[in-house]
Amino acid sequence: MNRVRLKVNGQEHEIEVESCTLLVHAIREDVGLTGTHVGCLTGDCGACTVLVDGASVKSCSVFAVSADGAEITTIEGLAGDEGLHPVQQAFWDEFAFQCGYCLPGMLLTTCELLDRDQDPDDAAIDQAINGNLCRCTGYASIRSAVRRAATRMAAGDPDALPESQRSESPSAEPPPSA
Amino acid sequence: MITKDFTYHAPTGLDGVVSVLAEAAGDAVVLGGGTMLIPDMTHGRTRADVVVDLSRAGLSGIAPGDGEVVVGATTTYADVLADDRAPALVPLLRVMAGGVTGGPQIRNKGTVGGSASYANPSSEVPACLVALGARMRLASASGTREVEALDFFTGAFATARRPDEVLAALVLPALTGTSVGYTKLKHAESSWPIATAACVPGPDGALRVALGAVAATPLLVTVDRPDAGVADPAWRAHVREVVDAAVTEPWSDVLADGEYRRRVAPVAAARSIARALETGGEEETP
Ligand code: FES
Ligand code: FES
Repeated sequence: MNRVRLKVNGQEHEIEVESCTLLVHAIREDVGLTGTHVGCLTGDCGACTVLVDGASVKSCSVFAVSADGAEITTIEGLAGDEGLHPVQQAFWDEFAFQCGYCLPGMLLTTCELLDRDQDPDDAAIDQAINGNLCRCTGYASIRSAVRRAATRMAAGDPDALPESQRSESPSAEPPPSA
Repeated sequence: MITKDFTYHAPTGLDGVVSVLAEAAGDAVVLGGGTMLIPDMTHGRTRADVVVDLSRAGLSGIAPGDGEVVVGATTTYADVLADDRAPALVPLLRVMAGGVTGGPQIRNKGTVGGSASYANPSSEVPACLVALGARMRLASASGTREVEALDFFTGAFATARRPDEVLAALVLPALTGTSVGYTKLKHAESSWPIATAACVPGPDGALRVALGAVAATPLLVTVDRPDAGVADPAWRAHVREVVDAAVTEPWSDVLADGEYRRRVAPVAAARSIARALETGGEEETP
């Protein structure tokens, strides 16, 4: 057994895992956060996506021991007490998911994209989400959601902010730094 | 779920890596980015008693030297894409890395050395290294040796690397002012390539093209320059003839059978040449 320290969504966890334990299983079973999904276990579907030290990875293709000391963001880490993350809100508004199986990958790769490119064109959006398979939406609504999240976050649109941070005046709030 | 546990090592330097490999006497597998090895272990296609993780061994980075560029084995596709010097130092790897299938998650983890060591016939790195005339730097407890890329890839999923060796770096020639061309044919976003072609004109103007995914190992051909333009039917026929002669045993898998790959290989070759002679880089539409 190996003792592994992970900081998941800002909270420290110390878990005991076998060397062969995949990060996705450690997150779901040892940390207890089941929003990260298991799809293919081949690295194809993207449902197991998390951010490790800010970079998106497919957690079915990482050993938990290799992540010792890492900071991990899962889908549970996006929404605050105040409400949905702007990217989640945009996916909600654009009907960009149905069953939700692909959502961890779609949301976290969108966050990674918007971190580095605040005004992505369709090619950049496709390039960012092309490691995630969605069986439900047909992708058009996902593209729209990414564009909507980008526009709102760039404009500081209050609808893009968690509810508690919204104010009456649309220009009163700075864009979130997510 | 991987049912068979193993001993895990993540040495913090190359010395540690080679001593674990020497001790394991062939029972170890080397873990690069994990994008291919870990799914293979999950699905029981690879079993190992010892796993040596390179992620803390300090083997990543692109270092220009005297007439060559040394690319550390654990340099990821994302590292290549993020490096401002990449278009000048490693133009072919730069173009290839941008089109790697599997999304940013794979580009963040997948390594050029891992792809080379894995030697999947459908992977993009091997043929690029052959087109470049790269040398593979292999390290073991008994020292370091370099093997030409063309000799390194010995078969499907097979290389000249001994079990006690690790691929430490790729040594590429510096391509000052050479315009390279790259083409990839695949029929779905998430598909492995059906055929790739990388054209690196030699200093003498000879057009060297390495074809990937059309045979078990990359195929290197040299074709005449298209004096009457790349649309010239006579030149196209010449390319077809040269490529046909090289593709003696085409690679077949579930995505495309060998005859199809044989059919499209000359087209890929001609496109990569057209691209190299125009502006360099990748073809606009795959
Ligand atoms: S479960 Fe990891 S990519 Fe599908
Ligand atoms: S919403 Fe069902 S897989 Fe994407």
